[in-house]
Amino acid sequence: MKIEIIEKLKEDVRYKEALTACMNCGVCTAICPAAEFYKYDPRTICNIVQSNNVDEIEDLLNSETIWYCGQCMSCKTRCPRGNVPGMLITVLRKISQEMGYFVNSEKGRQQLAIKRTVGENIINAGYCVHPDIVDPDLHPEQGPVWRWFINNIKEVSPKMGAVYHQETAGALRAISKDTLDEIKSIFKVTGGEEFYKKIEHFSSEKAKDFQSNADYDYMIKVYTTDSGDHTR
Amino acid sequence: MQHFDTIIIGGGPAGLEAAARLSKFDKHVLIIEKDPALGGKLLLWDKLFPDFASSEELLHQLIENIKNDNVKVSLNTGIKEIENEGGLWNIIDNHNNKYSAKALLLATGFDVFDASRKEEYGYRIYPNVITSVDLEKILSGEVSHAEPKKVVFIQCVGSRDEKVGNHFCSKNCCICAVKQAIEVKEMYPNSEVYCFYMDLRMFGESYEELYRKAQQDYGITFIRGRVSEVSPTYHGQVQIKAEDTLLSRPIRLTADLVVLMVGMEASEGTVEIGKKLQIGGNYDYFKSKNQHLADNLTYLDGIFVAGTSKRQMSIPETMKDAAAAALEINNYLN
Repeated sequence: MKIEIIEKLKEDVRYKEALTACMNCGVCTAICPAAEFYKYDPRTICNIVQSNNVDEIEDLLNSETIWYCGQCMSCKTRCPRGNVPGMLITVLRKISQEMGYFVNSEKGRQQLAIKRTVGENIINAGYCVHPDIVDPDLHPEQGPVWRWFINNIKEVSPKMGAVYHQETAGALRAISKDTLDEIKSIFKVTGGEEFYKKIEHFSSEKAKDFQSNADYDYMIKVYTTDSGDHTR
Repeated sequence: MQHFDTIIIGGGPAGLEAAARLSKFDKHVLIIEKDPALGGKLLLWDKLFPDFASSEELLHQLIENIKNDNVKVSLNTGIKEIENEGGLWNIIDNHNNKYSAKALLLATGFDVFDASRKEEYGYRIYPNVITSVDLEKILSGEVSHAEPKKVVFIQCVGSRDEKVGNHFCSKNCCICAVKQAIEVKEMYPNSEVYCFYMDLRMFGESYEELYRKAQQDYGITFIRGRVSEVSPTYHGQVQIKAEDTLLSRPIRLTADLVVLMVGMEASEGTVEIGKKLQIGGNYDYFKSKNQHLADNLTYLDGIFVAGTSKRQMSIPETMKDAAAAALEINNYLN
């Protein structure tokens, strides 16, 4: 199983694009916004992947660290060797999700919440983010105004130029069934559907450790749990 | 049409040294220099690594060595045309003078990397970000600067950097920063001096010793990490961001003066002639025939190359290379 990690890594086209030969200058970490707050060091991740040490790479897949990256790709703009640590992270995340390592870290377990929100929104609503699904309970960072907006969305939308659930052109418009069916078939053909099933599968296996069955409460629990041990 | 045994294009250390050597072989030489004075990039430096020798004295000696009847100098002169005719190289300069010679020595040197191309370091944006060349003028007293409390040197500006198309190491900046850091510390003994590097390449004689002296005797702090950006602070200083890669820790440092160690690139003249004669190689430097066996020759009969028009070199290396070129040319002419 372990050797599969290296195989999966090397067959991913993004890996080939993301890492040639890192010289450990640290400019990626120096520019990285995540590294300023989290216990996170993109240079070290490049270094570990470059080492080909399967045990250390497996540790990464189990770790919190690969989930700290915000995918801003600032590292790409600076690397003097043309590496893209941020893209390397996407490959490691994918392997962690596909092989089920993600449930072994607090930040990794939150993949379930992302799959059920943004991930399912695309398929069910045709939107990644849509006010209907940005639940005020899940997003306290939106502040009290957000709840008021959700409660009054029908009245407020036209004032903002949005066409909430209307079958016409514009923001927040309804997405037609044809379009949604097309999105669904794209997900099926490209393996997205299978990928979502894996997230659910590994999450429900893990939920047993918490005497749960990966229901909504479990999702909220993993989404809101914070050990407080992520920042520098 | 004036005829010479050899025409040397470029009146920097390589051109001057080759001219002096050839004149001793009793060859008639013309040096064509685009600038109003001889010396090339030597004129930009005050003291030289690793022994703090005066560049002015060195230049004075180099010019003394060519003061004889065999050497003529044409300043303020650019090259308009170079053509081969019956085994002779004909040159027309920008004043429409015509010369010919059996051998041409190209010693067109390097240009200093334009630091404003690395926009993230803020050169020409923040007044307290300067280059190693600017610092020489402060060290020599030509330009005055308020006494800085904290000085940061940033290595590899324009070198070892795919983002500006220069994969190569400029090789002189490491030791140059060590020299300049010591000079800054001598000029401002109360200042704190930091140097950010990726690797320190102390390849030359007594370079490593000078590096050690900088650490031991002058208390200069060397931090391994490439600086990602320089930004202004509210109080008119600048803040640099880097990772201390040996401690795996991102750091910020506020400085009064940031010195960018600018690298070397093929000079404008080198690029131009390289294209004209089709002898340009990597990064538009001249390509010699064989780096090991025929490093002063090119694929064109009678065209010779020396010094930093070929690749990054220190001054002693340049002078030795020029001497070797003079020997090759002398053999060729005989």
